[in-house]
Amino acid sequence: MAKKVLIIDDEPDMVMFLSTLLEDNGYDIATAVDGEEGMEKVKSEKPDLISLDLLMPNKTGIKMYRELRKDPEVADIPVVMVTGFGKDDIPSMDFKKWIQERAIKAPEAYIEKPVDKAVLLDAVRKAIG
Amino acid sequence: MLNIFAHLLKKFTSSLSFKLSFYAGLIMFLALLAFSYHSIFTHEQNLINRMIRGAVKDSGVIKAAIWNSMMTKDRELIRQILHAIVREQNIEEINLYDAKGRLRYTSSPNSARVAAESAVDPRIRGLLASHRVRHEISQDRKSLSVANPILNTDSCSTAKCHAHPSSEKLLGLLEVKLSLAGVNREISNSSRNTIIFAILLFLSISTISGLAVVFLVNPGIKKLQASAARMARGEYNPDRPTTGTDEMAELERAFDRMSREINDRTRQLEASRKMYKALFDDAPCYLTVVSKDYRIVRTNNAFRETFGEQVGKHCYAGYKGLTSKCVNCPVERTFIDGASHQSEEIWALDGKKAYVIVKTSPIFDELGQVAEVLEMSVDVTRLKRLQIELQKKEQEYRYLFENAPCYLTVVDRDFNIVQTNKLFDQDFGEHTGMKCFQVYKKQDFKCSNCPVEKTFVDGGTHHSDETWRRNGEATNIIVSTAPIRDDNGYITSVMEMCTNITEIKRLQSELAILGETIAGMSHTIKNILCGLQGGVYVVDSGLLRGKQDRVGLGWDMVKNNVEKISDLVKGILYASKGREPEYQEVDPGNLLQEICDLFESKAQSYGVELVRAFDSRLGKCLLDPTGIHSAVSNLVSNALEACGKGDSFRQQRIIVGGCIEAGRLFLQVSDNGAGMPLEVKEKLFNKFYSTKGGKGTGLGLVITRKVIEEHGGVIHVESAPGQGTTFTVEIPLKSIDTDGALKAVV
Repeated sequence: MAKKVLIIDDEPDMVMFLSTLLEDNGYDIATAVDGEEGMEKVKSEKPDLISLDLLMPNKTGIKMYRELRKDPEVADIPVVMVTGFGKDDIPSMDFKKWIQERAIKAPEAYIEKPVDKAVLLDAVRKAIG
Repeated sequence: MLNIFAHLLKKFTSSLSFKLSFYAGLIMFLALLAFSYHSIFTHEQNLINRMIRGAVKDSGVIKAAIWNSMMTKDRELIRQILHAIVREQNIEEINLYDAKGRLRYTSSPNSARVAAESAVDPRIRGLLASHRVRHEISQDRKSLSVANPILNTDSCSTAKCHAHPSSEKLLGLLEVKLSLAGVNREISNSSRNTIIFAILLFLSISTISGLAVVFLVNPGIKKLQASAARMARGEYNPDRPTTGTDEMAELERAFDRMSREINDRTRQLEASRKMYKALFDDAPCYLTVVSKDYRIVRTNNAFRETFGEQVGKHCYAGYKGLTSKCVNCPVERTFIDGASHQSEEIWALDGKKAYVIVKTSPIFDELGQVAEVLEMSVDVTRLKRLQIELQKKEQEYRYLFENAPCYLTVVDRDFNIVQTNKLFDQDFGEHTGMKCFQVYKKQDFKCSNCPVEKTFVDGGTHHSDETWRRNGEATNIIVSTAPIRDDNGYITSVMEMCTNITEIKRLQSELAILGETIAGMSHTIKNILCGLQGGVYVVDSGLLRGKQDRVGLGWDMVKNNVEKISDLVKGILYASKGREPEYQEVDPGNLLQEICDLFESKAQSYGVELVRAFDSRLGKCLLDPTGIHSAVSNLVSNALEACGKGDSFRQQRIIVGGCIEAGRLFLQVSDNGAGMPLEVKEKLFNKFYSTKGGKGTGLGLVITRKVIEEHGGVIHVESAPGQGTTFTVEIPLKSIDTDGALKAVV
């Protein structure tokens, strides 16, 4: 049975691209446009991996990630962070540091936009095979 | 020969021994003469008196003898008696006169005289008249005559012979003449003896006193003379104390004391002379003594080392190389007024220009006249150079101070402005004497965090950022202070440097904005790039798998993102360059309708109410419709975004308004969305500032403001977080005149 990936991104173009890419590589796809919808889909779809955008309206990726890791039911689902910001772009948005400070389990991978297809697929395969 | 004699005589007569002996002898001689005269005179008187008394007695005797003889009437006897008397008694002559004065008898052998004398001698008549015994010394003092009157006596008047009547008182006169030859001889002998004695006495006293002077006084004087001569040569040294108690010894002792005193003084004088000579010779400046004809009389070592031997030459020629006296000669002035003078001169020392300070002092002679002048010259070239250098430096610093591109003020401990630079004067006017805070801050109290005060306290430099309000505009100033100390290191004042950094601050913030902008822009581009990348992949995937719908979707993505890039580039170009508005006659009401129509469906999808609070016919205006359209569209689009972010439990509403009032077009877009905090409001019109993440370009409001400003208008914004935002645009309207030229509506 194919593994399912939940893509959470507010950019329709990004969702289109990622879902097409992962579908072509044999994964099932579910999508959400923000954190709120994303949490709902996590519960309902029970994905094997989550691709999470950092900056989104309503509920940002950061907020959602914290909720995700706090919830024991879903805390172990691997997360690939897909973000438009490098760590040097905006210091206040240094997500890795933010995570370290709060002693939260780090995401399984960070992928920076524009997304390198091979890197993304490699990260996904490493996490869920 | 004669000269030598005369010289010796003069020497002799002027010698002390001669004077003393001569005058002592002379005085003795004269005293003896006076005494001799007196005693000879007395002796002569006594002799004459004795002769007179003898003659009177003799004449009595003769009278008595004659009377007796007359009684006996023996005339011959009388005559013999008289002869005898004449012979015996050394009587020169005896004459008898009768009462009538006729000579009746004379002992003189010359008998003829009797007859001749029969005529009465008036002298005899005088003698007869007096009836008394009289004596007389002849004029040649050779004889003495005594006249004795023969008076009538009773015997005579009663005598029987030729009796004289008793009434006849005087019968005749007896005259006895005595020779004074003996007396004269005695007196003459006595006088001669006295004179000889006097001369001998004079000679002996003179000789004795002369010898006494020669042997007793002269050696002492000679010794004193010799000592004085030795003393004058500075050789005398009274080693042995003088013995003796007389005046000469006392004099010698006094002389010794004096000479010791003089020796001491001379030694002191010599010591100080040596000291002054050393001072003169070794003084570290050029010292010369110049005479009245400007010739160098003496020079010191420093002078000789530099100029060589110049004594005897003219001072101006010697070391200044001139042919005549200097124009402003301090030596001359000192000779004239006897005071010290000073001048600054330029000499050529070793062929180089040397600055020399010349000072002169008078040297007085014993009459108090200026005999010579001491000229002291100090080479102050190094000092002068330093002085010039210092002046130059001071000028430089003054220039720097005056022309520094910041406000420079020097304030004292009471915060009074003491000194200001040009820029300060230019911008603030003359304010010396006022307090710094009065001028800079327009306040009457010291600033709370005053850097001037801190510098006065710790002597360090301090800085503070200040904001001044001048003519309603805020100016950012950085104030730096530095201490100004006096020679003792005491801080007398503080220099305050105020630099206007408003422009720098503006540039700084613009730079920060630019940084953020570029980050924002690269994010935007990155998003577009992701879209393109995604589109291309989807198209590829569709083509590869033969899924036509997927190709269409992918291609839409590609087109969409290409359009985004196109918009971005256009926006960038508009925002950075701007353009002239293309004015057309339009009704802004129509424009607002169009914009609202455009956003209606999107507003509905956001659940936002779009309220059209304007008349669709506002009237024709000259506007650039494309510019105004994009400006207002941006505002409405922003309002929609704000509502999307805002409170979802409240009815979100956007009100679009417009009206024309007093020749002005007012447009307003207000929402009750999220509103903005102050920091967002401040950055609102900055290029590439976006709060919309991947969806905004950060150029919308920049373009809006640019369009409004190109129309000569302004845009205001009021906003509060959670309350909403209102943008108001105000544009002064233009009209077309008959020529079609643009003119502002008044």
